[in-house]
Amino acid sequence: MGRVVVIGGGPAGLAAATSAAELGADVVLVEQESFLGGTPIREHYASITPKMESAEEAIGRRVGAVEAHPRIEVLTGSRVTELRGEVGSFQLQVEGPKSQELSCGAVVVATGFQHFDPGRETQMYGYYEFPDVLALQDLEAMLKAGQVVRPSNGQPPRRLCFVQCVGSRDRRIGNEYCSKVCCGVASKEAIEVREQLPDCEVFIFYIDMRMYGYWESQIYWPAQEKHHVQYVKGIVSEVLPKGDQLLVRGEDTTLGRPMELTMDMVVLSVGMEPSPGTREMARVLGIAQNKYGFIEAADPPLDTVSTSRPGIFAAGAALGPADLEDSVSTGAAAGSRAVVAAASQPAVAG
Amino acid sequence: MSTSVVDPYLKAPEVAGYADVSFEEKRKLFEEVKQDARYPDYLYGCYECGVCVAVCPSARFYDFSPRRIAQAAAREDVELLYQQMQEDIWECSQCFSCLRCPRGNNPGGIVTIMREVAVRHGMASAREALEGYSRIIYKIMSTGTQVSPDMLQPDAFPDWGPEVADVSEHLKLWRRALPPETLHTTSTGWDVSDRTLLELYVIWLETGVLDMIREVDEGPADPAGPVGGRLREEVSCRSRWT
Repeated sequence: MGRVVVIGGGPAGLAAATSAAELGADVVLVEQESFLGGTPIREHYASITPKMESAEEAIGRRVGAVEAHPRIEVLTGSRVTELRGEVGSFQLQVEGPKSQELSCGAVVVATGFQHFDPGRETQMYGYYEFPDVLALQDLEAMLKAGQVVRPSNGQPPRRLCFVQCVGSRDRRIGNEYCSKVCCGVASKEAIEVREQLPDCEVFIFYIDMRMYGYWESQIYWPAQEKHHVQYVKGIVSEVLPKGDQLLVRGEDTTLGRPMELTMDMVVLSVGMEPSPGTREMARVLGIAQNKYGFIEAADPPLDTVSTSRPGIFAAGAALGPADLEDSVSTGAAAGSRAVVAAASQPAVAG
Repeated sequence: MSTSVVDPYLKAPEVAGYADVSFEEKRKLFEEVKQDARYPDYLYGCYECGVCVAVCPSARFYDFSPRRIAQAAAREDVELLYQQMQEDIWECSQCFSCLRCPRGNNPGGIVTIMREVAVRHGMASAREALEGYSRIIYKIMSTGTQVSPDMLQPDAFPDWGPEVADVSEHLKLWRRALPPETLHTTSTGWDVSDRTLLELYVIWLETGVLDMIREVDEGPADPAGPVGGRLREEVSCRSRWT
């Protein structure tokens, strides 16, 4: 049975490696960081949406299963730099502590996303100007540490707001897509803030709340009904300094009135962009990207993991914005498809 | 709380037509609404879909929005809630079409509670809205019925045609022609026994309706007249009506 190489050790890559190994293939998992777990671990996520289980524990279990699997070899601190051959008979150049040329029958790319940089082209929120303007992942790290305080003075905020769709659904920026998870993640974090700081008022300014499926009753309704998070339809146009606070301006669209509120802390619900690793792997492996730089699935919607090159599959947020459910689902799908592809006979040259 | 410092919906006191009160007073009124036992079942959360406005008959004829009622309550915007208690809530027809709400909210029910609080506090809007009705309520309290045959004056309802004059001229005769003996009355809709009057009176007294109505209309000294006085004594002799 042909070997499968999985590139990226986040939730999707872990799922791909596990499913391929469980089907009997030998798997090499290549990860550029020194640890497995991907963005949730690197960015110190407090908990994962929607069940609010500790990210470290939940993803740690998946990492443990991969590390313990006899058919999976993990190469951390390593990068793929070159690909030759074709499906069933690829040669991959891996650079790292154990540089080598790996032969394999199929490859899964699970190189994920990066958080949108709120300083890029949207300076009006003052992310790099005001210390109390944060992004979702900054608040995650605070929640994980149990220390939600204003960076400017170390005091817990008494009024905090989230601004949705920062870097998403924006033609001007070039990211016309919805990043799928920010509504749920912001609402989850809003609940956690209310739990850790019951005296802190929490607002979410949004364009549409996109709580598909069970997130509606798992996150959105409890946030509103049980934790009294205030959802206001209307996007903040700018954040300005006011005394030692922040003034947010926008429109309270459903009450039809201009809006002006002072906040102690503003959290930008930044969306997803392809990670540098995703862009680089698309180039190295020679697979098509869409206009946003994510890897393009060859035949969606019914085939989500094939790429433009036979034998190369993609999974998780490398394919575009994805929540954890989607990431592990496409990971498992790509892993099993890769096992089948790896067994195929290469065409006879000449 | 309000999301705005400049609110086009909020009227300045000089044009509002009712007295402005302190923020603290407004907050207390809202607290009373919130403390109502029904409130948690009437308001969950609002995602502002507008279906309650779409099905609301009053919204077609007035600047009334059940969505704004639910939103103001959800946001605990006490300034807006005060204005709504002085204006909007009396434009609701209490048909409860808004129970169509997918979140299970009951904006009409919130209006019911807000009205009761407004009446209890004798708010200007409650006085104005109930001006006509309080007299009817006093009539029910004193006679047991609302409409009486002798209200049929020949000139009162010209659109009822010429028969009205004939009916009112021989009212007693017409009434006696009705088979049930309890309808052989002219100053009340039907014969109301002292026992029924007593029971009605006790209900109004014990439930606080009498005090509530007094907040908006002083009315006659005692709506049940001399009978009322006697009944009141009788009731007050009991420590509790059981």
